Amino acid sequence: MFQLSIIKDTLPILPAAFALPPEQALTAAINKKYANRVLHDVGLCIAVFDLVSASEGRVRYGDGCLWYKVTFRMVVFRPFAGEVLLARVKSSDEDGIRLTLGFFDDMYVPPAYLPQPSAFDPNERAHFWLADAGPEQGTHELLDSPVAARMYIDKGEVVRVRVEMDEFYDDEPGPPKASEGVRVEREQRRPPYTVTCSIAEQGLGPTSWWKAAEAVLEGEGEEMDQG
Amino acid sequence: MEVVNPRSALLSNYEVLALLRELDSDHLAKTKTALRIKKEEEQSGKPTPNATAIEEEICENLRTVEVEALQYLTAEYQPIAAQSDAGITKLVKDIEPYGFTKAEKLQIVNLAPTEPVELYVIVEELEDRLGERMEEVLSHVRASLDPNALPASTAEGSSNGADPNPADPAALQVEEKITTEVYEAETWIQDTNYIEWDDGGEGAGVEGDLEMDEE
Repeated sequence: MFQLSIIKDTLPILPAAFALPPEQALTAAINKKYANRVLHDVGLCIAVFDLVSASEGRVRYGDGCLWYKVTFRMVVFRPFAGEVLLARVKSSDEDGIRLTLGFFDDMYVPPAYLPQPSAFDPNERAHFWLADAGPEQGTHELLDSPVAARMYIDKGEVVRVRVEMDEFYDDEPGPPKASEGVRVEREQRRPPYTVTCSIAEQGLGPTSWWKAAEAVLEGEGEEMDQG
Repeated sequence: MEVVNPRSALLSNYEVLALLRELDSDHLAKTKTALRIKKEEEQSGKPTPNATAIEEEICENLRTVEVEALQYLTAEYQPIAAQSDAGITKLVKDIEPYGFTKAEKLQIVNLAPTEPVELYVIVEELEDRLGERMEEVLSHVRASLDPNALPASTAEGSSNGADPNPADPAALQVEEKITTEVYEAETWIQDTNYIEWDDGGEGAGVEGDLEMDEE
């Protein structure tokens, strides 16, 4: 889920921070630049782990800053494909479920990765899984099923998910073109880093499902032993 | 900026938590010193020249991600409360002979599976590779967890939600809140139903429903 990335950068230290020991000032400067930022194809930066090396500070012509060439290790959030995570359900809609980890919430479960057969209940605004139904049943038949038999994935529930893939988008808008004039039109921007997860597997999904299922299985086992 | 190595090592949740806790306590200590200096200044009536230099600017982004990640890692559904340095070191040694891959070991440490179904999602082809020895792995995991902190972590997600564990009052409060919210939502729905049906002149059936719900 977390990893260490080695990154090299040249950073200025403002004169106000000259009183601090250089390593402390550098760590603060790196954290200021990188913390809570998505680096393309690297992941979401959390905090500096440690400094690997740093050059002597140099003064450049034109400003009073000390410029350091520094190599450091960063704690980065980047779950690998196939990793199992615990997350909370943030919201649900027809297009799937959105999950949150608190510090990161661009995690999605598309309908294809929901346990089959499942359907979206527009009244409850939640997806549900109908464990007993056959795979050939359509959405309408699923929605006609008795409510008691449905297993809902409610908002706020803790779910165990498997990471299927992650995608990075670099949607920085280019400079405005003179010919276009001033347009205040903002197209929908994609989040810079999205993780696609799956709960279509035995053992994945709300943790309460499997706690309950285990108890039932054990109970059945005991009954069979007695019989 | 240049990325030398995007993945030089993998970190376990426990290691990240330790780092974040350190950052958090540093931050608290700094805020306290800043406050103390400010107070002293006010008392003496003259500004100390050093005060501004010590007061390092607080990085908003770092604080945000730090606090949110701490909340996630210490959430009651994470096994991290029951984990310790020694426990994890021993666990890693204990599961060495089972031939897990690096990623599987990391996830066993992160998720601390104590049920077969939890181990099943982490390890590929669990039955073929481990067979009867699966229970041994689970017992190693259980041994690595601190038994005093265990009830809080295993009680998460239980359907009845009533966990009489005085060690974790915060979790209990949260649970209570959730139940009251659910209750309120239910009564609201019942109210609207009641009005609708009353207009239709079929109140008797609804009253019966309400009684059922209240029971």
